[in-house]
Amino acid sequence: MKDLKRFLSFVGKEFCHILRDTRTLMVLIAMPVIMIVLFGFALSTELKDVKIAVCDLSKDAASSEIMAKISASPYFKVSAYVNNAEEINRAFLKGEADAAIVFEDNFYQRVLHDGHAGIQIIADGTNTNTGTMSVVYLSNIIGGFIRELAEERAMDMQGETSAGNVPIRIDTSSHMLYNPQMKSAFNFVPGVMGMIFMLVSAMMTSVSIVREKERGTMEVLLVSPVKPFAVILAKTIPYFVVSAFNLIVIICLSVFLLKVPVSGSLLWLVAVTLLFILVSLSIGILISTLVSKQEIAILISGVVLMLPTMLLSGMLFPIESMPEALQWFSCLIPAKWYIESMKMIMIQGLGIRYCLEHVLILCGFLAATGGASIIKFKDRL
Amino acid sequence: MEIIRTEGLTKRFRDFTAVDHISFSVKKGEIFGFLGANGAGKTTAMKMLCGLSRPTEGKATVAGYDIYSEVREIKRNIGYMSQRFSLYEDLKVWENIRLFAGIYGMDDKTIAEKTDILLEKLELQEQRGRLVRALPLGWKQRLAFSVAIFHNPKIVFLDEPTGGVDPATRRGFWEMIYDASEKGITVFVTTHYMDEAEYCDRVSIMVDGKIEALDTPARLKELYHARNMDEVFHKLARRATRE
Repeated sequence: MKDLKRFLSFVGKEFCHILRDTRTLMVLIAMPVIMIVLFGFALSTELKDVKIAVCDLSKDAASSEIMAKISASPYFKVSAYVNNAEEINRAFLKGEADAAIVFEDNFYQRVLHDGHAGIQIIADGTNTNTGTMSVVYLSNIIGGFIRELAEERAMDMQGETSAGNVPIRIDTSSHMLYNPQMKSAFNFVPGVMGMIFMLVSAMMTSVSIVREKERGTMEVLLVSPVKPFAVILAKTIPYFVVSAFNLIVIICLSVFLLKVPVSGSLLWLVAVTLLFILVSLSIGILISTLVSKQEIAILISGVVLMLPTMLLSGMLFPIESMPEALQWFSCLIPAKWYIESMKMIMIQGLGIRYCLEHVLILCGFLAATGGASIIKFKDRL
Repeated sequence: MEIIRTEGLTKRFRDFTAVDHISFSVKKGEIFGFLGANGAGKTTAMKMLCGLSRPTEGKATVAGYDIYSEVREIKRNIGYMSQRFSLYEDLKVWENIRLFAGIYGMDDKTIAEKTDILLEKLELQEQRGRLVRALPLGWKQRLAFSVAIFHNPKIVFLDEPTGGVDPATRRGFWEMIYDASEKGITVFVTTHYMDEAEYCDRVSIMVDGKIEALDTPARLKELYHARNMDEVFHKLARRATRE
C-alpha cells in the first residue's frame, strides 16, 4: 500500500515534468495532429496534367475516341505515343509518363463482334495518391465510353430481334508499377502512427531518463530505498498514457478529417498499437541505460530509430522495391512490422490472423529490448 | 560508537584500482571530511558506502548494516546530496519536499508538519509554491541539504555540496551542517575547499586510491608542519602518481 502510494507520487511527478515543459508538451500533443494534417493535405487530392503514354495497338475508331476523351479532360495530357512494353518502360523512367494506357489490337472489332476487349492501365505506384487516382479517373472515362456505346447500340437495335444484341464488356486491367502491393492512398496513416509512437515512447522516454542522470536527480533516487525498477516504470507510465491519447487523436483525425475508415477490428488495432508502444518504451529505456547525455539520446533515437523508421518501414517507399539487402535490414526495424500490421488491420480490413506473425515478432522485440535493458541496468549498479 | 567501518575496501575497474584497500571508521555524530584530488577515488568510495556500487573486495558496515547484503537497509538510513543539488528544478519547493519525504516512507501528516517547520527555519515560506528553478543557488543548496536530512537519516553523505557558491553562503551552509551534527546525524562530506576541511571533526586525505592521512585538522597540521589544511593537502597530493 505504502509502495503503491510512493509509486503513484512518482508517476505524478513525471506528469508534472511533462505538463510544465511547454516544448515537451508541444512535441507530445501537437506533433501527431500536425503530422496527420500535413500529410493529409500535402498528398494532393487533385489531378492535373497527368502525363499519359499511349500504346495503341489497334488505332481504330474506338481507341481514338477514348483517347480524345482522355485528352479532352483537364486531368490528363497525352505525352507520348509508344509501340511496345519496352517503350512504355522507357517513358516511365525518363519521366515522360505518369501513367500509360494500352489498347489491344483490333480493339473496336473485338468490342463489336466479341462484345469484350481489353485495355490496360499502368500507373507509377511510387506516387501512391496520383497513381490510384489516375487509374480511377481513366477507368471512369473508359466506363463512360462503354455506356455511350451501349446506348447507341441499343438505339440502333430498337425494333430488331434481340438475338444480335451482344452485351459489351471492356476489361480494364490496371497495374501499379513499382508498388504492386499498394491497396490505398492512405498508407501514410499507419506510417505516421509508427513514427509518433517511436518519437513519443522511445525518444521522449529515453531523453527524460537521461535528463535525470544528467541533472543528478537519478543518483538521489538510486541512493533512496526506492527500487530502481520502480523509478523507471514510473517514468514510462505518463508516456504510455500520452501515447494512448495520441492514438485516440490520430484515429479520430483520420476517420473524421481524412475520411480514412478503420476497415478492420478497432479492438485489434488498439491492442497491436499498445504492444508497439510497449516495444518503443522498452527501446527508450534501453537507450537511456546506454548513454548519459541528452543530446546523445536524441541523436540515437533520431538517427538510429526515426530515420530508418521513416525510410525503411514502408512508410514513404514501398519495401518491395528496395534492394534485397535493405529489405533484410528493414526486418530489424520494429516499426516496419507495426506499420505493416496496421495497414492490414486499418486499411485492408484484414483479421488479426493475417498479422499474427507481425504480432509475434513485435513480442520478440519487446522481450529482447526489455531483457537487454534489465541486464544493462543491473550491470551499472 | 562507530557508524561507518571499512576494512580493506577495494574497487577495481578491470585493471584499474580506483579504491585500494581503505580502512577507516567514522563515529556517530561526527563531521567526517573526505578529501582527495580529482580522480583520487573519493566518489567511488562514497558510492560503495551508499550502496550504489558493489565493492570488489573488503568489508564495510554502514549504520550497522552490511554493505553487501543489507543495501536496502543502508539506503533507508542515509541521506545524500551531491554538488548538483539534486532537486527537481521544475517542481515547486513543497513538491520537492513531499516527493523526497514520500520516497522515504514518511506519512502525509508528518510531512506537512515538518514542511512548515522547515520552511520557517529556512525563511522560505513565501517561496513555498515557487519552482525550485527560480531560487538563487545558495538557497537551492540549503533546501537540498534540508531535504537530504528531512527523513532523519543516521548518516548524510554530501558530495562537494558547496560547489560554486561564495564563502559567505558556504559558511551559512556549514552552520546547517553543525546543526545536523548536533542532532546526532553523522556527516560524511567530500570537498575541495580546504577552509571547509578545517570545519570537520576529522579529515581523511585520499591519494591514488589509498588513505594517506586521517586525523583531526589540528593534528594533521602539526604532523605535516603546516600552517593550514591547504598546505597539508598539497604536501600529500604531491605524492600522487596517477592523473
